[in-house]
Amino acid sequence: MTVEVSSLKELVEQASGTSGSPDTQEYFVNMGPQHPSTHGVLRLVLKLDGERVLRCIPVLGYIHRSIEKISEHMNYMNCVHLTDRMDYLSSIMNNWAVAKAVEEAAGIEVNDRIQYIRTIFAELERIQSHQLWWGVLGMDLGAFTPFLYGIRDREVLNDVMEETIGARLTMNYVLPGGLMADIHPNFVNRVKEFIKYFRPKLDEYDDLLTGNVIIQERLRNVGVLSAQTAVQYGATGPVLRGSGVAFDLRKDHPYGVYDQADFEVPVGTVGDSWDRYWVRVEEMRQSLRIVEQLLDNIPPGDYLVKKLNSKIKLPEGRYYSQLETARGILGVFITSDKKDEPYRLHYRSPNFNNLWCLEPMIKGDYIASLIGAMSSLDLVIPDIDR
Amino acid sequence: MTTTTSDQANIESPPMDFGDLKSQCVAPRPSIMGRRRSLSGILWLSAKGILRGLLTTLSYFRRPSTVVTQQYPENRDTLQMFERYRGRLSLIHNEDGEHGCTGCQICERLCPNGSIIVTKDKKNEATGKPALDQFIWRQDTCTFCNICVLVCPFDTLEMTGDFESSVYDRRLLVFNLNEYAGPTADQLEKLGDEELAKAQMKPMKKYQGPVPMCGGELDGIPKLDTGKSDDA
Repeated sequence: MTVEVSSLKELVEQASGTSGSPDTQEYFVNMGPQHPSTHGVLRLVLKLDGERVLRCIPVLGYIHRSIEKISEHMNYMNCVHLTDRMDYLSSIMNNWAVAKAVEEAAGIEVNDRIQYIRTIFAELERIQSHQLWWGVLGMDLGAFTPFLYGIRDREVLNDVMEETIGARLTMNYVLPGGLMADIHPNFVNRVKEFIKYFRPKLDEYDDLLTGNVIIQERLRNVGVLSAQTAVQYGATGPVLRGSGVAFDLRKDHPYGVYDQADFEVPVGTVGDSWDRYWVRVEEMRQSLRIVEQLLDNIPPGDYLVKKLNSKIKLPEGRYYSQLETARGILGVFITSDKKDEPYRLHYRSPNFNNLWCLEPMIKGDYIASLIGAMSSLDLVIPDIDR
Repeated sequence: MTTTTSDQANIESPPMDFGDLKSQCVAPRPSIMGRRRSLSGILWLSAKGILRGLLTTLSYFRRPSTVVTQQYPENRDTLQMFERYRGRLSLIHNEDGEHGCTGCQICERLCPNGSIIVTKDKKNEATGKPALDQFIWRQDTCTFCNICVLVCPFDTLEMTGDFESSVYDRRLLVFNLNEYAGPTADQLEKLGDEELAKAQMKPMKKYQGPVPMCGGELDGIPKLDTGKSDDA
């Protein structure tokens, strides 16, 4: 395997000298960093031939906040709240990833109640993330209505989570050694109400968007990503599963109480945007199933097993822990030097790896297809830069 | 910036072995054109799909009761935030207006972004013990992570449901939370003398009380020119 390294400047210079006849002149176009369909400040340099994309070079760094560096000067409890700001649509799962890494390294055993509540919240968060993605996908492809429907249902779920947590986006709910607060007394009933409300709405989603021939034609056979390429590029989550690799940490390396829930992992066959779309819609149904099974069995117990302002010191060494967020595997790598602050904290964020799948998937296709393919990747830009 | 050639990725290679994966598969639903269908079948299904979407939106048009939009500025009087909502930070004062903050600075130490600055007097004249001077909270840098509320050993902090805090100058987002500088409610009670306790609660400095610190001197915060500030 050969890897060719080149700078953006070199690429542009190479191309400018070799323009042939005007019919096939290749040119560069910037998409972003302020393009609405890039969902944030992502800049894509597109090498175009007419309307065909020959190369797609992502340029990063427009929303870099050095979360990893800041974490080196914080204790582990404070590190957690910065992860809300990475992949802001799966903030609880990000919190959990850090908490899980610290707990595994420090040998803190959390009780079943904490694990149940964490798992339920992670699945609720997965649903709300996919709801937003579903709406935004419709909007990217030129249909505004789905956005309103997705946001409407997300609002119901957000209210349920807000009642317990007190925040709507930057949750900061899971701490190393437990949870920030116990679940609200109304929580179980309200989640049940939500499940009852949302099941029929999923069929409505199918009526609105899934059955629509325009959407299907814009997603089918667009941005085909083979299983081989997906694995090579380190894609995870629905992107990997859409390509036909049935790999889900919730099944293969169960954490939380996923091993006690009965659910299935949707897997695509072709690896096009349509498969990724379908995997996510199906994931919402499976998440509802998981929540439904766990909700009635939350065992009694404390919601915090570690005293809050106690210093958590990890033994010297390197620790890695990972879990499945709404977009793929979030890995947390901690290097500890026996202090209560990490010597180095690295996040292996799912969106970074998923982003690079864009180039092999879109090569030779139209710009219009790029929008659909990128939307089906479900990128959150702050997670790419961190 | 580094890029990799994607040529090797497009080469067809034998199926990969991913080991023993336990995931059960759910095959995705085939699309309208996915199976071998006749042209009339495709046309029929396409028209049906689009009509069905239109009917869904129409069904909501018929039922105004399903509208979920909140008329926010109009419903301000009836708007009820959740009990645990993390809005503006406040120092809990009891019905006599006394606070329980001893100025122990745990919240200041554990605040991840230095939004809390607690200053205290070394020795209060009446009680002879250290007492709180200023509890300064910088809303402009606060991330509402709730850690200060959780770690407070005296349960004297809370996040209120107040979320309307937009101002034109970010220096107006620096607050002094304590209504008076001085001893805690417990210590005031121990004094016994009611007059003495009340005297302790009188403002002794210029920028005391739950007001924005506009013009207040604080490290790192430039002084606000009160003559030119917009009073709106």
